[in-house]
Amino acid sequence: MRFTLLVGGSGGQGGMSMGMTLAESAVKGGKHASFMPLYGPEQRGGAAKCTVIISDEPIISPLPLKTDGLIAMNEASYKKYIKELRPGGLLVRNSSRSTSAIKRDDIRVLEIPADDIAVELGSSKIAGIVLIGAMLGFSNMMDPKMLMDSLEEKFESKGDAIVDLNRRALYKGVELGTKAAAG
Amino acid sequence: MAKLFMKGNEAVGEAAVRGGIRFFAGYPITPQSELPEYLSWRLPEVCGTFIQAESEVAAINMVYGAAATGARAMTGSSSPGISLKSEGISYLSAAELPAVIINVQRGGPGLGSIQPAQQDYLQATKAPGHGGFRMMVFAPNSIQEAVDLVYEAPEYADRDRSPVLVLMDGCLGTMMDEVELPPFKELPETICKPWTVGYDGTTRSGHLITPIYPEAGLEGKNKLAVARTKRWEENDVQVEEFMLDDAEWVIVAYGIASRVAKQAILNLRNKGVKVGMIRPITLFPFPKKSIAELDYSQVKGLIDIEMSIPALMREDIELQVLGRAPVYEYGRSGGVLLDDDSTEAAIWKIIEEASSNG
Amino acid sequence: MAEKIYTKPPCLLPLSSGFCPGCLHSLATKLIAESIDELGVAEKVINVLPVGCSTMNSLYWKLDMVTSAHGRAPAVATGVKRCRPDALVFAYQGDGDLASIGLSEVLMAANRGEHITIFFANNSTYGMTGGQMAPTTLIGQKSTTCVFGRDPDTTGFPIRMCELVKELEAPVYVARFALNSPANIRKAKKGIKKAMQNQIDGLGFSFVELLINCPTNWGMSPVQSIAYMEENTMKYFPCKVFVDKTEEEEK
Repeated sequence: MRFTLLVGGSGGQGGMSMGMTLAESAVKGGKHASFMPLYGPEQRGGAAKCTVIISDEPIISPLPLKTDGLIAMNEASYKKYIKELRPGGLLVRNSSRSTSAIKRDDIRVLEIPADDIAVELGSSKIAGIVLIGAMLGFSNMMDPKMLMDSLEEKFESKGDAIVDLNRRALYKGVELGTKAAAG
Repeated sequence: MAKLFMKGNEAVGEAAVRGGIRFFAGYPITPQSELPEYLSWRLPEVCGTFIQAESEVAAINMVYGAAATGARAMTGSSSPGISLKSEGISYLSAAELPAVIINVQRGGPGLGSIQPAQQDYLQATKAPGHGGFRMMVFAPNSIQEAVDLVYEAPEYADRDRSPVLVLMDGCLGTMMDEVELPPFKELPETICKPWTVGYDGTTRSGHLITPIYPEAGLEGKNKLAVARTKRWEENDVQVEEFMLDDAEWVIVAYGIASRVAKQAILNLRNKGVKVGMIRPITLFPFPKKSIAELDYSQVKGLIDIEMSIPALMREDIELQVLGRAPVYEYGRSGGVLLDDDSTEAAIWKIIEEASSNG
Repeated sequence: MAEKIYTKPPCLLPLSSGFCPGCLHSLATKLIAESIDELGVAEKVINVLPVGCSTMNSLYWKLDMVTSAHGRAPAVATGVKRCRPDALVFAYQGDGDLASIGLSEVLMAANRGEHITIFFANNSTYGMTGGQMAPTTLIGQKSTTCVFGRDPDTTGFPIRMCELVKELEAPVYVARFALNSPANIRKAKKGIKKAMQNQIDGLGFSFVELLINCPTNWGMSPVQSIAYMEENTMKYFPCKVFVDKTEEEEK
């Protein structure tokens, strides 16, 4: 299996580091992965994207035209990157920040108020984790446990509460994604 | 050895350290800035020196000074910065100083774009500075290959007492991929060599490192350089040949473009199109034989694919084809990246049009 | 048998110099050579040569040498010194090399406080290329690119390098001397020697400017050129020690 995921958000929303952690966790879990960032000139704000490829086979080209999945963290990145989603592809959209009408009918859509869920869980900073969990559940691209292992390692030094917060955010997303995939 | 997941620029920095580089001077420029960032803390850990120079020009001249002492020295930059360094690169070549130079290419000409591109082929292989000198140019197409080539680059530089260029691009520099790092090379106890400056503990009469020669001396040096180029062409060509046996269409691509092209070739093979690829790993010396010795009774055409408009390798390809088959090109440029599907479609279109015309 | 009381410094080869008759580059070179030999450090010295008349010095010195690109000597010296901190690294640059095309390199090396010594030979002209206007050419002074004399309205004013360098925090020694008279030559020699001693002592960046002449390109006899220096050059470029942090370091 090979899955290409585009994560789009404004610089500073954490989409890049999330994509990086996802790809790294896949490699640690024995899969092949690549991570390709594409920055604008601005350090913060704007629409930044990264492409993550996770595959059972070695990755030949890291530059696909169309992506299998898109996580749109805000309105700007939804508008900019929706055309890069292949027909039949999966969109996970942060409906807390992106509410315009979805005009494509050839894709599968999961809308999640990730910011609101994140605040409910305890921190607005983990909205991205909710979204990525949702994509994992929605797409079945990779076992979420691989990502959780990496998150544990990453946040170990910040204490159990932070690790637990990330776990709850990830699996809340997975739950929503799995439900949407089934429905 | 365990696979790591590393950013290209940082992996290259680590490969340099493991390959014996102990001096780096550089200047911030996108998309290679992670290289000096990484080495700024990594080199001091191995008793090496990192200097953030005041300019690209100063950086290459610091490398020149370091190389004169025998230290394994390196600098890195991206396209516009390499233009600024070209004076120093010419001087390194003239003074017969070994050094490793990394170019993480971006869009050009001019300030161009900060996005990945492959617009510097001609500069790298034909005229990296004034005076008609050449240097070996390596063009990795993956982070792993970049690591392996940067690790070996100081050996070539030392062997030939010549600068060596590793030509990457913004994709390879900023992307992250799996990589296995080579072991640390054992370094000699002293950096002194018979030709270096700096007291080595014995009586010295004065060594001179110089990029200027009396007329007759310079001509002799230039003749030796020609002989060296010939040796490179005989012994040091590195090339990957992919699915050429029955190929009617031959893609020529290097670096990141070859990754995209390979995926397109696999897709086309599934559709029954007989297409293969020649991938130069050394751009200089150029793999002339691979192209010259193709079976032109079988090959219907060659396609030069680059993340550059125009395709800059084309003239070197045509010089080997010598009219025995048509040469086409496909590229993207100016911050627009090549991708698998569009490349596949472009190759298909070239083949179709050629077939309908033929 | 007569006692030998004067000889050519051993770190210069026993050759006659190719500098023009009456040119003070020869004297400046000799003063540096004498200082090195008196300090007994010749084998530890690495001399970074510039581009200009003094590139020719590669033929006369018996030292390890690196010839650099035009203006880049302080960057080259930086690379050399960082890799060989045990070496004594000096560069000898002219005014076109140091104050024009290489202004950035010298100021930034000074600002980093590189442990090197820069000798700056200021003769107000591009000697090697045939007497063009230098950044240090005096107002009204004629050159092949300002044939009616330097006009400040279009070419600005002569740059006082010591006064620029002294504003930086890092340099430990900044001084200007003129090689016009025996008394001043003795002062210059002391400064030159101190600038090398500072490196032996590991103190930091030293900058010594030496006012010299260029009889050939000034179109004067050597004697006339010295008189011109005294009446004009030395009035615009005051000779003094601008910075000397060596005393406080010793305390």
